[in-house]
Amino acid sequence: MITDKELNFVREALETARRCGAQKARATLSKSEEDLVATLDGEVDRVTHCADRSLSLALFVDGRFGSYSTNKLEPEALEAFIVKAVEATRVIAEDPCRDLPDPARCCRDALTGNELGLVDPERGGVTPAERQRIALEASAFPVATPPEYKIVSEEGEYSDSIYETVVMDTNGVCCRHSETSFDYGVEITVESGGEKYSGYWWDASSDHRALDAPACGRRALERAVGQIGSAPVESGRYTAVIDAEMASKVVSPLLRALSGYAIQQNSSFLMDSVGKRLFPDGLTILDVPRTPGQTCSKYFDSEGVATVEAPVIERGVVKEYFINTYMANKMQLAPTIEDATRPKVLPWPRAGLNCEAILRECGSGILVTDFNGGNSNPVTGDFSYGIEGYLFEQGRIVRPVSGMLMTGNFLKLWSRLLFAGDDARPCQTKLVPTLAFSEVDFSG
Amino acid sequence: MNNCERFGVSEEQLRALVAEGLKAGGDWCDLYFEDTAYRSLLLRDGEVGSGGYHVDFGCGIRVLKGEKTGYAYAETTDFASLRSAARAAGSIAAAASPHGGQPSGRSRGTAIKSDAAGVDFYPELRSWEQAETAGFVAFLQRIDAGIRARDSRVLKVIATLSYSVSNVMMYNSLGELTSDHRPLGSLSVQVIFRQGDRTENNSVSRSLRMGAEMISDEVLEDLVSRAVEGMDARFEAKRPKGGQMSVVMGAGASGILLHEAMGHAFEADFNRKGQSVFCEKMGRRICRPGINILDDGTLPASRGACNVDDEGVPGQKTYMVTDGILTSYLHDRISAAYYGVAPTGNGRRESFRYNPIPRMRATYMESGPDGTKEDLIASVRKGIYVDQFANGQVKIGEGDFTFFVKSGFLIEDGRLTMPVKDINIIGNGPEALADIRAVAGDLKVDEGTWTCGKEQSVAVSCGIPSVLIGKLTVGGE
Repeated sequence: MITDKELNFVREALETARRCGAQKARATLSKSEEDLVATLDGEVDRVTHCADRSLSLALFVDGRFGSYSTNKLEPEALEAFIVKAVEATRVIAEDPCRDLPDPARCCRDALTGNELGLVDPERGGVTPAERQRIALEASAFPVATPPEYKIVSEEGEYSDSIYETVVMDTNGVCCRHSETSFDYGVEITVESGGEKYSGYWWDASSDHRALDAPACGRRALERAVGQIGSAPVESGRYTAVIDAEMASKVVSPLLRALSGYAIQQNSSFLMDSVGKRLFPDGLTILDVPRTPGQTCSKYFDSEGVATVEAPVIERGVVKEYFINTYMANKMQLAPTIEDATRPKVLPWPRAGLNCEAILRECGSGILVTDFNGGNSNPVTGDFSYGIEGYLFEQGRIVRPVSGMLMTGNFLKLWSRLLFAGDDARPCQTKLVPTLAFSEVDFSG
Repeated sequence: MNNCERFGVSEEQLRALVAEGLKAGGDWCDLYFEDTAYRSLLLRDGEVGSGGYHVDFGCGIRVLKGEKTGYAYAETTDFASLRSAARAAGSIAAAASPHGGQPSGRSRGTAIKSDAAGVDFYPELRSWEQAETAGFVAFLQRIDAGIRARDSRVLKVIATLSYSVSNVMMYNSLGELTSDHRPLGSLSVQVIFRQGDRTENNSVSRSLRMGAEMISDEVLEDLVSRAVEGMDARFEAKRPKGGQMSVVMGAGASGILLHEAMGHAFEADFNRKGQSVFCEKMGRRICRPGINILDDGTLPASRGACNVDDEGVPGQKTYMVTDGILTSYLHDRISAAYYGVAPTGNGRRESFRYNPIPRMRATYMESGPDGTKEDLIASVRKGIYVDQFANGQVKIGEGDFTFFVKSGFLIEDGRLTMPVKDINIIGNGPEALADIRAVAGDLKVDEGTWTCGKEQSVAVSCGIPSVLIGKLTVGGE
């Protein structure tokens, strides 16, 4: 945990910055520790131990701004670093919009760092032997396989870690966050008919009891085997169902387009969108940053501003941009939060639907279970992604699909929303369920 | 200051740390010390209104037993911390099963001395650290002004200068002590254009392993001219009708095709694990005669250049495909020992926080005999010509790759017609390689800020002459 001595160290860093010429400053101390065991084909392949500690400083000097970081934290080295940082800030142009956030907006209730209950005390007691046992027990290798395919390789990775941070500024803000994480991911490659197919699955939780590592191998194998014999289908317009594992791919660009930086630079396809109904009634995205016990919940952003539960898009209407202090001053808008912390897409048109139910509702189309590359244009919202998945008819999967591209424009895509499921994976940063859209262009 | 002084360790301590790492039974130990200073300046709305300075310092210690890896690092170089890291890394010896094979230290290669050994491919002629920052600020403002002067449609310009200088020192259980001084400068420019009620963007970059001499009129003119180039076409561009078609890839940045479609599959770790589509094809023909594909750490000032890799192996050129035949994988010391060959200088890492793995450097195809880009375009009845790219990706096992095209043109009856943009192209690596119909004589290695993201971020470069591929799948509406 971050010690009292380290808290004092951060305070002293702020004092040193002031003494060296900064009128205002923010200091962030981050500490993390991670132990990892990787396996290859059922044997330990790699063990690593990582321990990091770094100090970041945001300095406001004579109306100028710079951001700095170092992991050389010995007192003499740090003092020399701060002196250099203040000097470096003085060559930057003056910018009156740069400022610390209003203390009234800042977080006051993150005092211990564990208010959200995201620290599993068991993490400190995990021994190297225990880690290896967990990693090896999670491995499904060797597994008896039917003659249609053989397993080429299985690569698994178990890790447990703790991350802690404290943010302080010269306005007296002080907030802390601590979170443990237990993670397992596995990739299995199978060979059939001279072709290789791979499948990946993962799980993560801040609570070691919630991690289901053994299930990951089964899912990864299912996904690899499910792709055997995959091929493109005829190019055309299909109903697209994107499973919950992958659906954030079509939500993240919306959130990026609502960033204050993108708006201020005219680099967004959602310019002048607040208050406008640009999406269908079925789309509601809520930011739920303060859910106890849930991975990625957090009480404050990197400026120390308190997070709040708030709609981002509500029944199709854009409710807010993500605007930090700088962008608020620059655009003369009220500040909000710098980014969505834990955005959640709400179910539509009713709760309780999962991927299978949505396939039944849709009848026929393409189920997307993985994306292979691609990108989107932030200015126009045009996108083009490689995909793999399955052709489905009458609600049932009929054959695997690969080597195809899904192309379109995000505003048009979302206008054709058919279903938003109720099956978001709690281990993900963005809580996005299975989504279905009509009339999507696929080429192959 | 020699590097032992920089990192506060003696050679005796280096030997003691290696001995500590090997105590539990490992057969190889190496140490990687790094001291990196990274600086950036950002121009937005006509002013350089923010900047940063970041220091990263530490030492990574790796212990191998057979092909198994133990890794730990310390962010200080006091002996007690380093010894603790060596012990943690050495624990792999107890964890590894006896089936992993246990090559001796020698079989991991003192790497063959390449012709390039001892040459500095990236001298820092003008020190970044000692150069006046005010000059860099003025340079970014000239970029901004130059772009705005060339095109009245320019709405916003963001220009970033970032530069880093890394000093690294490596020591291993063969007693090899190696050092490298690695400057890297990068300039990136993003421009937003407005024409009527339409908005478009463009981005260009230049990244070179050199000192502050990079800040030159030549680089400025290159960035400014490319930032506004082709914008008329961009405003007219449309999505093509998707489907399979011939693709002419323009020289230079199209090298992303090699990086994604073939380069990763040549990396020896994927082959050692049986995952690559090329894992049983060594010595076999994988494309037509006359095609040579190499990965080169010896291009002066290239983002992918390596005097030595991050295992202390000298920088060198590695031909993966010679006259159409698969002749080498890209090796680190683990895979070299596994295959019984010399390491190829491809053991690279993001920083001391990561263990080295086989990575590309500057990957390109040599020029071919089939004339010019125009000749290739003229030979296509219906297809697409592409010349600007954003990113790519590959699925190693399947060999399926994609790359995202920022701009290009339709080819109809041998002529460039409608401009196209923002489309993904997908294909299969071995199939695309075998389907290269023509290679022009205009090899160009791109100097953009290419960064490969295989587990860790590593600076690379890529290049290619103009090539014609018979059939790829193009995204469209």
